[in-house]
Amino acid sequence: MKLALLVLCVASPLAAQSLRTRLEGRVPAASIPVIDSLVQVAARESLPTDPLVQKAVEGGAKHVSSERIVKAVELNLDQLRRAQELLRRAGDTPPATPAEVITVVSARKRGLADSVIARIVAALPGEPRGTALHAVADLVAHHFSGDSAADLILEAVHQGLRGVRLLDVSSAAIQETQRGHTHAEALARIRSELPNVPAPPPPPRTTVQRARRPVASGGQQPLH
Amino acid sequence: MSTIDPRIHQVLDGEIQREALPPELRRQVELLEAAAALLAAAPKAESVEQRVMAALRRPAAPRRSRLVWWLVTPRAIVLRMRPVWTLALAAGLALLTLLPARVSRPDVGEEEGIAQFVARFPGARSVAVVGSFNDWRAGSIALEDRDHDGVWRGVVVLPTGAHEYMFVVDGERWVADPLAGRYVADDFGRENSLLIVRPVLQ
Repeated sequence: MKLALLVLCVASPLAAQSLRTRLEGRVPAASIPVIDSLVQVAARESLPTDPLVQKAVEGGAKHVSSERIVKAVELNLDQLRRAQELLRRAGDTPPATPAEVITVVSARKRGLADSVIARIVAALPGEPRGTALHAVADLVAHHFSGDSAADLILEAVHQGLRGVRLLDVSSAAIQETQRGHTHAEALARIRSELPNVPAPPPPPRTTVQRARRPVASGGQQPLH
Repeated sequence: MSTIDPRIHQVLDGEIQREALPPELRRQVELLEAAAALLAAAPKAESVEQRVMAALRRPAAPRRSRLVWWLVTPRAIVLRMRPVWTLALAAGLALLTLLPARVSRPDVGEEEGIAQFVARFPGARSVAVVGSFNDWRAGSIALEDRDHDGVWRGVVVLPTGAHEYMFVVDGERWVADPLAGRYVADDFGRENSLLIVRPVLQ
């Protein structure tokens, strides 16, 4: 117990120092104390903090003013709170993992209605929902209704498809509309073919760079 | 039938005097005599035996010269092989051809995938990809336009999952990827492109 307290006492200032180091030179100096305090609030509420830091450095890279960076970080903190609350209301056992919260934030930002997100969350208890939500969001972005898109993706899950294969389902439905079918026809056609949907082509064989990932950064939203 | 005047024969045989000949025949006689003198002065030809012995006594050419001579001299090469070994050799060559292509793929981990970026920016001096995967640091992933047709390309190993990104053209102009297909508001009044990286090793 004493050891845990000692670790906590040492770790907190170190984390704060690490955050300031990450922000210094990347965002206007005037915004750093405010961002720092917002990150601490997120940590106290068991929310993921990395999206807030990412948003701040993104604003700095885009040469956005200090005020707009702080506003964007505040907005993201609010989105994280709403996502956490949505997960709780949908029946997820708290605390929600940072990955799940970030996934829900992304789905909301992509235009999915809370009711559709809640349906997916409730239909896949104890399972990663990231790709399912992205697959539904892909369909909604192509003017499928949220509920019918969720129906198709959940049917694909029931047929045994998981992970990125769910993205193949949405891609196949979108391609059907590009071939001239109505949205209803596309959904019916793909549903009848489940679980057989074409996989994407393999990655190219060419010169490949490797992204320089920052230390202690979880920039990507996990793919589940 | 001889084309030599019979009077020339008589002079050469000593039957008549040279002075008895007309001047043009006398000239021909002089030419014939000069030719006979040349033949008489020629060295005596060596016999076959002498030529062989001379070759045997000649010192051997250096090893390098002999090797070069052996290499450049055309020779018939006959390779006898059972059909089963021919098939095995063909299979081995096919494996050697195919395997390097597989292993030439970069070292991609279980939680990583390959993202291909393509964008058309005619006249641009530089195009970079900046996003959540590189902490929004401009310039760390540069695209290339090798054939100068205005189409910039880059292939990058990224962690699997969803990443937000934009292109930075000429170090200052931020542009969403028109081919991304997925976009999210960036909370600064614009849209980021959204990329979902699949694991390579599924």
